[in-house]
Amino acid sequence: MTIAEPVHNQRKYVGTSVRRTEDPRLLAGRGQYIDDLTVPKMIEGAILRSPLAHARITNIDVSRALELPGVFDVITGKDLAAVAGQQPVIWLPIPDQRLAKTHALAVDRVRWVGQAVAAVVAVDRYVAEDALELIEVDYEPLPVVADLEAALAPDAPKLYDDWPDNVSGSHSYKTGDADAAFASADLVVSGSFTHGRAMGCPLEPRGCIVSWDSFSDTLDLWLSTQAPNLARDLLAEVFEVPVSKIRVRTPNLGGGFGNKFDFYGEEIIAAVLSRRTGRPVKIVEDRADSFVATGHSRDQRLDFEMALNNDGTIVGLRGISYGVLGGALSTVGAGPCWASVLTCMGPYKIPNLDVTVKVVMTNRAPYGSYRGWGAPKGNIVHERLIEMAARELGMDRAEIRRKNFPAPEEFPYFSGAAFTFDSGRYADCLDLAMSKVEELGWRERQAKARAEGRSLGIGYSFHIEPSGYGPSRIMNLVGLQHSGFDEATVRMDSVGKVTVYSGQINMGQGTHTTYAQIAADNLGVPMEDVVVVTGDTDSCPYTGYGTGGSRGAPLGGASILRASQRLRGKILRVAAQLLEASPDDLEINDGQISVRGTSSKSVSTRDVGDAAYRRLLDKLPEEEMPTLEEVDVFDPPNMATSYGCTALLVEVDRETGMVSLLDCLQAHDCGTVLNPMLVDGQLAGGLAQALGGALLEELVYDDEAQLKTASFMDYLLPTAMDIPPFQFFHQETPAPDIPGGVKGVGEAGTIAGVSLVASAIDDALSDLGVTVTRFPVTPPRLLDQIREAQSRKEGSA
Amino acid sequence: MKPAAVKYARAGDVQEAVALLSEHGTDAKVLAGGQSLVPLMNFRLASPSILIDINRVNELAYVREDNGSLLIGAMTRQRDVETSPVVAAAVPLLPQALHHVGHVTNRNRGTVGGSVAHADPASELPALVTGLAGELTVEGPKGQRTIAAEDFFVGTFTTAMEYDEVLTAVRLPRLPAGTGVAVEELARRHGDFAIVAVMAAVHLAPDGSVDLVRLAASGVDSVPLRLHSAEAVLAGAQPTADAIAAAAATVAASVNPTGDVHAPASYRRDMAQLLVKRAVGAAIERIGVSA
Amino acid sequence: MSDSQTVSVTINGHVYTADCDPRLTLADFIRHKCGLTGTHLGCEHGVCGACTIMVDGRTARACLMLAVQVDGSTITTVEGLASGNELNPLQEAFWDNHGLQCGFCTSGMLMCATELLEENPDPSAEEVREGISGNLCRCTGYDSIVKSVLAAAEKMRS
Repeated sequence: MTIAEPVHNQRKYVGTSVRRTEDPRLLAGRGQYIDDLTVPKMIEGAILRSPLAHARITNIDVSRALELPGVFDVITGKDLAAVAGQQPVIWLPIPDQRLAKTHALAVDRVRWVGQAVAAVVAVDRYVAEDALELIEVDYEPLPVVADLEAALAPDAPKLYDDWPDNVSGSHSYKTGDADAAFASADLVVSGSFTHGRAMGCPLEPRGCIVSWDSFSDTLDLWLSTQAPNLARDLLAEVFEVPVSKIRVRTPNLGGGFGNKFDFYGEEIIAAVLSRRTGRPVKIVEDRADSFVATGHSRDQRLDFEMALNNDGTIVGLRGISYGVLGGALSTVGAGPCWASVLTCMGPYKIPNLDVTVKVVMTNRAPYGSYRGWGAPKGNIVHERLIEMAARELGMDRAEIRRKNFPAPEEFPYFSGAAFTFDSGRYADCLDLAMSKVEELGWRERQAKARAEGRSLGIGYSFHIEPSGYGPSRIMNLVGLQHSGFDEATVRMDSVGKVTVYSGQINMGQGTHTTYAQIAADNLGVPMEDVVVVTGDTDSCPYTGYGTGGSRGAPLGGASILRASQRLRGKILRVAAQLLEASPDDLEINDGQISVRGTSSKSVSTRDVGDAAYRRLLDKLPEEEMPTLEEVDVFDPPNMATSYGCTALLVEVDRETGMVSLLDCLQAHDCGTVLNPMLVDGQLAGGLAQALGGALLEELVYDDEAQLKTASFMDYLLPTAMDIPPFQFFHQETPAPDIPGGVKGVGEAGTIAGVSLVASAIDDALSDLGVTVTRFPVTPPRLLDQIREAQSRKEGSA
Repeated sequence: MKPAAVKYARAGDVQEAVALLSEHGTDAKVLAGGQSLVPLMNFRLASPSILIDINRVNELAYVREDNGSLLIGAMTRQRDVETSPVVAAAVPLLPQALHHVGHVTNRNRGTVGGSVAHADPASELPALVTGLAGELTVEGPKGQRTIAAEDFFVGTFTTAMEYDEVLTAVRLPRLPAGTGVAVEELARRHGDFAIVAVMAAVHLAPDGSVDLVRLAASGVDSVPLRLHSAEAVLAGAQPTADAIAAAAATVAASVNPTGDVHAPASYRRDMAQLLVKRAVGAAIERIGVSA
Repeated sequence: MSDSQTVSVTINGHVYTADCDPRLTLADFIRHKCGLTGTHLGCEHGVCGACTIMVDGRTARACLMLAVQVDGSTITTVEGLASGNELNPLQEAFWDNHGLQCGFCTSGMLMCATELLEENPDPSAEEVREGISGNLCRCTGYDSIVKSVLAAAEKMRS
C-alpha cells in the first residue's frame, strides 16, 4: 500500500551522506545519558544479586542494612511481589509454551547467578553498595543445571517443580515432504553448530530514574530504553495503573543493540522503592551488574542437515534448534531462538522443510534480545551447510549459492516458514561481492601468502535480514503480544519551521538525521528547518514495537514520509490562496513555494505558517482547519527483507590457532539508501559485533553455572586492532511494500559475520579439510581442530 | 562498582610511606599507578583500610645507569621507561615488553614498581625482571635490602616483601651491545594479559656461538619464570634450528601452567614451547639491530 | 590524615574546589561534583576507556584515580576541547567521517586520539588502530574512527 498521488519531491537530502545533526553536542560532551541526569530529591539504588545459580531462599535479614546511615529503604522479593506483578513476556511464538515467569526480585528461589534478591536505596551509590554488604541471605543450594546437555538429561534436576522436565516448549515448521526429499537426495550434509552465549553489551549500561508521585498518582520515568511505549504499557500491566498516568522519557542512549529493547526488573524495583520512599530513585547498573542482569543471547545448538541433488540443487532442510534459555523468560521469551528457525533456509529455495525450535531452561541468566536476534544462527545453518555441500560436490562456493537463489521475478517469495521475502536480486549482489574481491586483489594476496607458507583464507556469507518488524496482524498471528505499526506527527509551526515527532528511539543509529532528510525532501524545505523529537511518551506518538527489528528507517521513516507528503499538500493549498494559483500548479523547494516553471512570484513557508496560525483572514482557505499538522500511522503489509554478500580475508596461524582479520567487504541491498554514510556505519558496527562473537566474546559458565567472564578483562569486546577495515558496495532494489522503498539495515552485519569467519578459516585450512562448527573460534579450539586434521591427513597419507 | 570506605594518606617520601605502613599494618595498601589496585577496589575485591599514596614521592621517579646496570625508580611511569633512550640503550628488551602492558593510557599512570610489586604471574614486567636476573630494592623500618627477582616472586600476587616494606627500585643488568631481543606474546587481544609470553635476549660470540641467553616466560606458572633449562641448552652452542628446538623442548618440563576461560593448561604449555622457539629465533634475527 | 579532604583542581581552565571522601573516584568527582558529565563511565575497571581524560598533560582513566590524588593538578576533559561553540579539528573530523554513533565512547576516544596526535602527528592507519586499542567502541566497528583520526591529522598538519 503506497500513497496514490504522485508527488514531485525535492530530492536533495535522501541518498546523500549528510553529516549527522546529532553529532556536535555529542562531540562536545553535551550528550545527556541516563547517569548524567539528576532530578530533585533523587536517591540512588543498588541491587543485591544471588551468588548461587540455583537455591532456595530460606531467610533474608535486612535489619543491619536499614540501620546504616544514609539508607532510605531496603526491599526483598516479598515486599515487591505484594505490590507488583510478574515480569511480562511479549513474545509467545511457541504454542502452549510453559512460561517461566518471575518477579523483579526473587521471592523464594533463585535460578541464576546474579538474579536480583534485594534492593537498597540510599543517598548515593557508594552508600547503597555499602548497605548491600550488610544484607544477610540464607540460601539452601539446589542441584544446578549448568548447560543444555545437563538440562535435557533424563534425570536432570528441574528448574520448575511442576513441569515434567526443563523444556519450555517446541514448535515445528514443515513444508513439502522433507523425509521423502532426504530419502531420495544424492547428498546429505549435516552439522551440529553451537554459538556460545554473548550479549549486546552497549558501552553505556542500562539505567532508570523513577518518580512515583503518590499525590498525583503518576509514574514518571527516565529510562534507557529502545521501546518507551512498550515499557509504558508493561509498567501499566505490572502495577495495574492507567497508561495515562505513566510518562516514559528516554535520554541519549549509549548504544542499545537489543539489550535495551527488553523490559527489565530494575524499572519495577526503582518504582517500588520510589513509591515507598516518596523520592525519585535512580538505579543505573554498573558493569558487574550488567554481565548478569542485562539480556544474554546467542546461546544455541543447531543440529541440521541439508539434502541436495548432485547438481547442487537443495531439495530439503531439516533439523532442530535448541535455545539455551536461562532461569526465567525475558521480555522476548523464545523469540530470538524461534527467529533462527524462521531464517535457517536463508536466501535459498528449499522446497522441503522440517525445522523445529526447542527452548530449554537452564540455571543461566535469562535470554534476551541482541541485534540480529535469531538470524545470525539461522545464517550459520544455511551458510555452513551449503559450503559443506559445495566441498562434497566439488562445486564452487559461489556457483552453488547462485544455483539456489530465487530469481528476481519469483518475488514475493514464501520462505516456507512464516516469512515472505519481498524483493531481491540475490545473484547480482553475490556477483557484486565476488567482483570486488577480484578487483581488490585478495586472491593474489592469498596466493602470495601461501607461497610464503602463510595460511590466508577468503570467506563468504550470504545473508538475509527480514526487517521492518512488522505487520501487526502477522506479528500477532505468530505470537507477539504487541503491535508492529509506527506513528508519526509532522508539524509546521507559525514561522514555517518543521518538527517531526516519532516514537522511535535514537540509540546511535542517527535517526534524527535520516528523519530530517526524509521530512525535508518530502516537504520541500531545508533540512536545517526540521527538528526531530523523540523519547517522550507524553509528546511523541506511539510506536507499535519499539526500536528493534530493523524498523526505524523503513517503518518510522515511512510514517514520516506519508505524514510529510500530506502536510505538503496542505502547505500548497494555503500557498495557493496566497499566490492566487491552483495548488496543482505549485511546487515547493527550499521552503519557497511558487508556480511550477516560473519564479516570478513566490511565498515562503513562513508566510504559510503565519496564514495557518496567526493572521488567517483572507489567507487561510475557508475550508481548511487552522494549524499545519499531519499524523500518519503506517502498518506495513509485509516485512522488508534486505540482504547482502560479505567477504572476509583472514590469516590463520597454524601453530597457535590465532586468527587475524585482514580485510572485509560487503555488497548490500537495503532498498533505497537514505544516507550512505550512516548505512555503512550500521553495516560496519554490526559486522564488528559479529566478528567479536565469532572470535572473542563468550559468556562462559562453569559446571556450577557460575559466570566466569563477568568483566571486560574476560568478556573480550573486539578492539580497533581486532577488526579489519571495511568496504561497502550498494545495490538498491526498492522495498515494494514500504513507501520510500527503504529496507532495514540495523542487523545486517551481525547476521552475516559469524558464519563468514568460519568460511574464511575453512578456506585458509582447505588442505586440511577443517570445518568450523563452534563459535566463538578460540585459539585453543582451533588449534585442536588443526592438529586433529593434520594427524588425520598424516594417517591417511 | 564503587570502592568501600577507605582512608587516604599521601606520603612525601619513602620514610614516610614506610612509617605509615608500619602504623597501619596489613590492611594498608600502597597506591602507586593504581592500574591494578583500583579496579580491585571498585569490584570490592580489595578493601584496604587505608591507601598510602606514593605518587608524589618524586625521589622514586628516575631512570639511570648505575655501575653497569640500569636502575629504575619504582614510581617511574611505564610510559616514561618505554620511551627512554637510556633504557633502550641499556636493556632494549624492556621497552618491547612494556609495549604489551595494557595501553598507552594505562602506561601513563602505571609504574614499574607497581607492576612488579603486584606480582601478577601473567604480566610482562615481573617475567622480564626475573628473566634478566634483576634485583629489587625494598625499604622497610629496618632499612634497605635487595632481593633477587627469583626470590622476590613467591606466588600469585605474592612477593617476599614484608607488609611494612616499600619497593623502591628495580635494577636490571645492562645487556651487552649487540644483544638481540624479542618478546613473543600470545594474548587474545593486544594489551590483554598474556596467555603466554616469552622474552628472549641473545648475544653471540665472534664465532657465532651463544655467549649470553636470557629467557623468561609469563602466564605459565604461579610465578614468572626464568627458563634455566632452555638457557642451558643454548649457552655456548651454535644457535641452529635444532639447538633452538632442543632448548624449546625443555620448556614443557619447566612450566606449570593452570587453565582458565581463555586457554587450558595444555595449550599454555605447548605455546610456551612454541614461543621460546619463536622468541629465540627473532632475537637472533635482530642481533645488531637497535631497538 | 583525615577522612574527608579538600581537593582543588583546575579543569578546562576553571578551578573546582570540593571536600572529597577519599574513596570518591576522580570520574565521579568530575561528573557529580563538577557537573562535567561528558566524561563517561562504561566499566569502572579501567578497560573500556570511556572515562579517559587528560591529567597534567597525559591521558588517564578517571575511573582508576581517586579525586584526592589530583589536588593541584590540571585536567582536560572532553568539554575542554571545543573553543566556545567551535569544534576543534579532531571533533570536526569525527563529525565528517561518522566517527561516532551513540557518542558514549567518543569522549574517551577524543582524549586518547588527542594524545596520540600530539605524540605522532602523522600516524599510519595501523598506528591509529594501536593507539586507540585501549578504548572500546561498540557501535562503529572502528574503521570510521580510524578515518576520522587520520583526517584530523592531515588537517592539523596543513
